[in-house]
Amino acid sequence: MDLASKIVLPLLQLIVIVGLAPLVKGFINKIEARLQNRRGASIFQPYYNIVKLLRKDAVVSETASWIFRATPYVTFISILIIALLVPVLSSAVPANFTGDVILIIYLFALGRFFLALSSLDTGSAFGGMGGMREMMVSTMAEPALMLSVFTVSLATGSTNLGHITSTIVDQSTILLNPSLFLAFAALAIVIIAEAGRIPVDNPFTHLELTMIHEGMILEFSGRYLALIEWASSMKILLLLTILVNTFLPWGIASEMTFPAMLISFALYVVKIGFFAFLIVILEMSFAKLRIFRVPNLLGTALILSILAIISLYVVG
Amino acid sequence: MAEHLFIISIILFAAGSLFALCFYGWQRVGNYISLIFAAIASCFGIATAVVVLSGGSPVHIDFHLLLPIIKYNFLLDPLSAYFILTISVISFVACIYSLGYINLYVGKRDIRFLGFIYNLFLLSMLLVVSANNAFVFMIVWELMTFLSYFLVIFEHENKENRKAGLMYIIMAHIGSGLLAIAFFIMFTYAGSFSFDDFRQVASQIPAVYKNIIFFLVLVGFGIKAGIFPLHLWLPMAHPAAPSNVSMIMSGVMIKTAIYGFIRFYFEFVTPCPPWWGVIILIFGAGSALLGILYALQERDIKTMLAYSSVENIGIILIGIGLSMIFRSYNLMALSSLAMIAGLYHLINHAVFKCLLFGCAGNIYYSTHTKNIEELGGLIKRLQVTAPLFLVAALSISAIPPLNGFMSEWLIFQSLLNGFNIPSVLIKIETIICGAVVALTGALVATCFIRAFGISFLALPRTEHAKHAKEVPVIMYVSMGLLAGLCVFMGIFPAKIMMTVNHVSSHLVGINIIKSITAYDWMQARMVQTNFTGLSPKSATVFGLMLLAITFGALTAIRPGFVRKFYETWTCGISPDPRLEYTGTAFSRPFAVIFKSVLRPKLDVAKVYSVPNFFVKSMTYVGEISSIFESYLYTPVSNFVLKASDRVRWIHTGNIHVYLAYIFVTLIILIMFFR
Repeated sequence: MDLASKIVLPLLQLIVIVGLAPLVKGFINKIEARLQNRRGASIFQPYYNIVKLLRKDAVVSETASWIFRATPYVTFISILIIALLVPVLSSAVPANFTGDVILIIYLFALGRFFLALSSLDTGSAFGGMGGMREMMVSTMAEPALMLSVFTVSLATGSTNLGHITSTIVDQSTILLNPSLFLAFAALAIVIIAEAGRIPVDNPFTHLELTMIHEGMILEFSGRYLALIEWASSMKILLLLTILVNTFLPWGIASEMTFPAMLISFALYVVKIGFFAFLIVILEMSFAKLRIFRVPNLLGTALILSILAIISLYVVG
Repeated sequence: MAEHLFIISIILFAAGSLFALCFYGWQRVGNYISLIFAAIASCFGIATAVVVLSGGSPVHIDFHLLLPIIKYNFLLDPLSAYFILTISVISFVACIYSLGYINLYVGKRDIRFLGFIYNLFLLSMLLVVSANNAFVFMIVWELMTFLSYFLVIFEHENKENRKAGLMYIIMAHIGSGLLAIAFFIMFTYAGSFSFDDFRQVASQIPAVYKNIIFFLVLVGFGIKAGIFPLHLWLPMAHPAAPSNVSMIMSGVMIKTAIYGFIRFYFEFVTPCPPWWGVIILIFGAGSALLGILYALQERDIKTMLAYSSVENIGIILIGIGLSMIFRSYNLMALSSLAMIAGLYHLINHAVFKCLLFGCAGNIYYSTHTKNIEELGGLIKRLQVTAPLFLVAALSISAIPPLNGFMSEWLIFQSLLNGFNIPSVLIKIETIICGAVVALTGALVATCFIRAFGISFLALPRTEHAKHAKEVPVIMYVSMGLLAGLCVFMGIFPAKIMMTVNHVSSHLVGINIIKSITAYDWMQARMVQTNFTGLSPKSATVFGLMLLAITFGALTAIRPGFVRKFYETWTCGISPDPRLEYTGTAFSRPFAVIFKSVLRPKLDVAKVYSVPNFFVKSMTYVGEISSIFESYLYTPVSNFVLKASDRVRWIHTGNIHVYLAYIFVTLIILIMFFR
């Protein structure tokens, strides 16, 4: 890989993730509205919201400290770094050396850490409630997430997402391993929980009894809210990208030519669209779980991922 | 060279401790002098460690003092040097910190004693990790225990502190007794108390005795390390001591037990069977998970930190245990990797736990409370302590790019390499350990979000917190050094790993530094394992670049960005601390989820003004009970009390009867050992 592609490719990745993230959210909202016999807002509505918010001034609580004002930046930047580490259009990720999937998991934790802190910062009870619930869900999701990632890593011999993708593209038979099916199922459950979708969290609600993520970010406004909303939609897209490019990586560009990249991009959009559609179907067919049922769901994911590892070791 | 530096350090510590006693009228001056001596002595300690670790050969130091039959042997090898480095760095910072913290006691009590014991305590730890003779080791080990006991009961007018001290001294002595037995078994085979001879006899000891030694050492050092279920004294004693002492106790004293584990399992009783490592791994994982679960429910900030030390000892033990397993399967490179992970976490924990106890000390200094529910809003009052606490909290939660993440990452990499182990059962166990470490990591983050969020953010909940003032400059300057170390050791891991590599290559006999560090295409040194590479430096650079771009773009979009300040919307009433989320509420879901372990008890009593309809007042009592205390310790202590009650009749109080006892004992002894 020459120097040009080392600079062009990361930029391309950033542009795709940063640019497409609101679209995924708009797409999910639109499909959901159609399936509920509503017309729904435009698919581009999330962009309009972000632009509107970026142009506004912000109102900040007198109680809040500098933590509150730093949080949007920390969250946004941590997600941007992840966007550099995940294979999006090409399995050759130039920023690969920077870190692996463990770094990615802990970078998500960095953003969450600051969000949960700023939820306590304003002194409103809603914030604390949201922050507490977010930490509860993510804590219970963590072991299942780590183990399902480990399963894939052990099957491919790397914890680096770029290497995982290229290994699976080269030797597709790895995917026939039953343990990877289990890992996929576990990862899918965890991603639903981490992305804050039904049945774990309802992104459309602002009722104190149900909200998790929305409760945490209730006090943000203006530019701060824009950054956080954008970061959370990028988080969903990145989680889906990890799922897609780990388990269904076919078509991803292995060399840096224009047609290869174009095909890769088209397939990427189709794949992400498909999974976004699955999320909508899931949201339509389930009710939100009671908060203390969520650990059971995530416990199921943990059991699946443990089984995945055991079957990998026992079956081979 | 190294031996001179080491001896100077010892002399300075001793001199410092005497200076503290000299000044009756100016106790503050006496303490200042002794603390400055200790700080300089620590610098010499650091220098000693650096000399040995920078490739010097192991140095033997022998004294002939007092009794000629006891040889005071000391050895400075890389393992000792690494622990001396850790101890000296922490004690340097703690001494500087104490210069400010003792103001809390000046004029209120006699502090000559504090300075005296403090210096000797620091000295005893240095001697523990350098003793090269079982006899000397036991003497300095006991010295360390006693001195720390006196520091625990420093505020002895408080009944809780005396109880904590008693618990500590009893448990520590059970541990010392078991260690003494282990040393005697070694002695019967080695023929001397010298560690040099201990290193040679491993092949002559039968497997049964080796296993006995393994368990004696596990429990003996395990009590000091505070692993579950032997941790009981730790969350009592650490909060009882003054904060500058807790820094040392939690930061480094409990690590001397890890030193003991490594000495025994890697040098004295080798080769170890795999199941030893498995047992260490299980205890490590158990301590990690249970430690943090209890920490999460704790309202006293120092008790919480003490429980979190139990958790971190667990993580370190996972590294050590894994290293033992790899070693017994002859996977030396992996053994070295796991050892590096464990030792890296050890120094990391020393640094951030010392910083956290320093912050807890600052909070106590300025508010006179340790209960997080009585705090709040401190970020606007303790403007320097708050970011320091935040850095430590991020480090301990393994958030990149701080140091906690690096060691956690290495632990994960070592656990993943468990697939090389031939036994399927152990393979699966390493992976379950991985799940435990992941869960623990997330719980730690929750725990420290709670600790920071409840005590530093939002509105102050009490008058104490409202009128808190920042502590003396010297205190937060010393802590700033530690915060700097947290960042440095996170962003430049290769330097630390090269240091730790000296230790592990000395112990395991294989140098893997070439295979775990590499240069990336930006010519930055990065860390790598067989699974992947990691370059925290580049990640940080990327992050800063992206931050600059984001900031620039945002400013371009809206140049005159204005923040307006209003009060938080609380549904029409003005914001009040009573509306804020409490620490108890924040951790409540975890008490519910893990109720089988934590056994939360709830008593809600309501007083009605109109029966069954209008509640006038409500009292809520929530409590976490320790299952180990109620199912393990209480039965044992009850049994001991009952048994001693039974044999009380032999104590008649009559001197003739006692003389008769002595006579009978003598005859029995003569009969057996004629």
